[in-house]
Amino acid sequence: MDAALEVKAVVKAFGAVRAVDGLDLTVPRGTTCGFIGPSGAGKTTAIRMIMSILFPDSGQLRVLGKPSALQAKDRIGYLPEERGVYRKMRVDAFLLYIAQLKGVAPDVARARSTKLLARLGLADAATKKCEDLSKGMLQRVQFIGSIINEPELLILDEPFSGLDPVSVKVLKDIVADEHKRGATILLSTHVMAQAEELCDQVIMINKGRKVLDEPMSGLRRQYDLRRILLEPLDLAADLTALREVPGVERVQLTADGCDIALAAGTDPAATMRAIAARVAPVRIELARVRLEDVFIRLVTEGAATDESAQALRTHLQGLSGEGVAS
Amino acid sequence: MTHRIWLITRREFLTTVSGKGFLIGLLVMPALILLLVFLVPRILTSRSPQVQGEVVVIDRAGDVLASLRTQLDPATIEARRAEGRRRSLERAAPGFGQAAPQAGGPPIPALTLVERGADTDLQQQKDWLARQIPGQRHLAFIVIQPDAVVRGEGKSDYGTYDLYIAAGLDDATVGVIHEGLRLSLVGSRLKASGVDPAAVETSMNVERPNPVIVATDGQQKSRTGFNRALPFIMGLLLFIGVITGGQTLMASTIEEKSNRVVEVLLAAVSPLELMWGKLLGQLSVSLLVMAVYIGLGVLGMFQFAIIGLLDPMLVVYLLLFFLITYLVFGALMLSIGAAVNQLADAQSFMGPIMLLLIAPYVMAPMIGQAPNSTFSVIASFVPPVNTFAMLARLASATPPPMWQVWLTMLVGLGAASACVWFAAKIFKVGLLMHGKPPNLATLIRWARMA
Repeated sequence: MDAALEVKAVVKAFGAVRAVDGLDLTVPRGTTCGFIGPSGAGKTTAIRMIMSILFPDSGQLRVLGKPSALQAKDRIGYLPEERGVYRKMRVDAFLLYIAQLKGVAPDVARARSTKLLARLGLADAATKKCEDLSKGMLQRVQFIGSIINEPELLILDEPFSGLDPVSVKVLKDIVADEHKRGATILLSTHVMAQAEELCDQVIMINKGRKVLDEPMSGLRRQYDLRRILLEPLDLAADLTALREVPGVERVQLTADGCDIALAAGTDPAATMRAIAARVAPVRIELARVRLEDVFIRLVTEGAATDESAQALRTHLQGLSGEGVAS
Repeated sequence: MTHRIWLITRREFLTTVSGKGFLIGLLVMPALILLLVFLVPRILTSRSPQVQGEVVVIDRAGDVLASLRTQLDPATIEARRAEGRRRSLERAAPGFGQAAPQAGGPPIPALTLVERGADTDLQQQKDWLARQIPGQRHLAFIVIQPDAVVRGEGKSDYGTYDLYIAAGLDDATVGVIHEGLRLSLVGSRLKASGVDPAAVETSMNVERPNPVIVATDGQQKSRTGFNRALPFIMGLLLFIGVITGGQTLMASTIEEKSNRVVEVLLAAVSPLELMWGKLLGQLSVSLLVMAVYIGLGVLGMFQFAIIGLLDPMLVVYLLLFFLITYLVFGALMLSIGAAVNQLADAQSFMGPIMLLLIAPYVMAPMIGQAPNSTFSVIASFVPPVNTFAMLARLASATPPPMWQVWLTMLVGLGAASACVWFAAKIFKVGLLMHGKPPNLATLIRWARMA
């Protein structure tokens, strides 16, 4: 498949700090690619280089078949992590200006802007000054600015941060629509659940280096952690006794039951039947792979200790604001 | 690319000129000039009350008092002032002396001269001066020396007078008394010598004509008076143009950077396109400001029928040198805007730039008076003051040779290119840098990095 984005051995240093250190990645056209990693991993720097806002110290980039995004900016949509608007400018004028800079004809830009503002619940805000909008509303306006040129490549840097759940849902729907339209989407996030939900490929970076580059399907196969989640019918049931079930390696109690880790080579179906026979379940299911777990496994591999893995897990939980089962 | 630069230029221009601040700024400068030229002197003088009181005269020469009464009469003082104003205006704008205002300056003091005998005791008189009575102010006493009108035997110089004044008497009144005494003594001395003072005054008055420069390409009236102000006016216009565009350029860049909108823009345009769009946008604003001021000036000159004094080529040179100077200072201010995060951080960088902008002002009178001195010639080739210096020389009485004008332009263009190159480098790196404001070494490092 033709690549929308190719990055080869790209390095960018700020003084002594190598923010991006020999990064290689390829994003095929038409895919939604999650670009994930903790804060400070180098995601934003890499994206800025892809956008030709920053320039690499070494390495090569190809964006939509061009050697630089400068030659394809009209075909790219970009929502930066740092949100910004002209505070004194009216919302419709701001969107028109951004659209025109991206080569959209004024009448087309006006029509798209009206449609998207309505879809994102901002129809009444069109004639307001940007400074009169709330932070969440401004973020939606900027999101519109990133897709108003119907880009072939859409780069979203933390698009959902700070938004209310309803807005997140609307934005996710639009991202899905853009994907259906045929746009290639690079979604940078540190909330791994969002990448799990939206992406069909995941690229993980840590400390400026790529640690994973897999399709989601392959990832699930490769990093299947073989965990069973159990919610017992009888809350007083002795769950620790499940350790004696053949193939069970570890049982971790959770708020509504337990999280059971299986030993390598265990047949999950047989083990689930054995568990259900011992403790009557309300719910028993094979857990899906979590990107957090994959990430933790990858970055703590080798010299990994329980403490370092736990510290990283806590860090990731802090970033995403979501609980992670152990 | 050009389309995107045009879009940025248009937005910069429209945003700036449609703001209230621009209109106020546009009007503030002429208003300040009017204030300085007309209102301030009036306010200053209107605040000083008329001085009234007694001046005692001890006329030991014997025949000065009558003349002194005439010279210190309010009507005579006013006539003397009016003649002074007429002469000043005539010197500044030949042919316009009669248009001088009939009134002006501080209020004319109402001095009551009181004669005392030649043998009056000085100490008593000093006590009188020190003793102030409400409603009848003791202002001064004058002792005219016996040989002030007729020289003492064997002496080559005349005697003079002694003046004692009350504490707090203002300088303007003291000046009026001095001038009255001078004129009285001169008149009395002439009379004593058998010469008619009116005849002397007439014979002393030689009208100074405007010199005519004779050159190989014909002859022309030399620039005097009003035209001597041209270097200053041209420098002022250049300054206003550069500072208007430069300041806004810096402020708008800082705003875009601190608003974080710059990354949104850079997603659509290259740093160079953004830089040129901003430079050209504010250039248009500056040109508009200058066009308004030049238009007003030309209108005024038409009104007073002195448009013939202005060489149209000067306006052409003004615009050419403005373009060069704007690019130099505009690019520098743009790079400052890109380097810092808030206006307060820009102050440390603005200091040297303001010095460079003000330096030509300090130099302007020197260059205007000696436009072809070594200093003036060297200043014409040292950026960034070269454009100011050359413009002052072009507006002076003896314009420089053409090759020097071209060389100034060449040097200016070189400096402008270097500044724009430097600004482009800083712009590229600095726009996305936040945190501690950089120092000069950091800026140089950025320029090398980009």
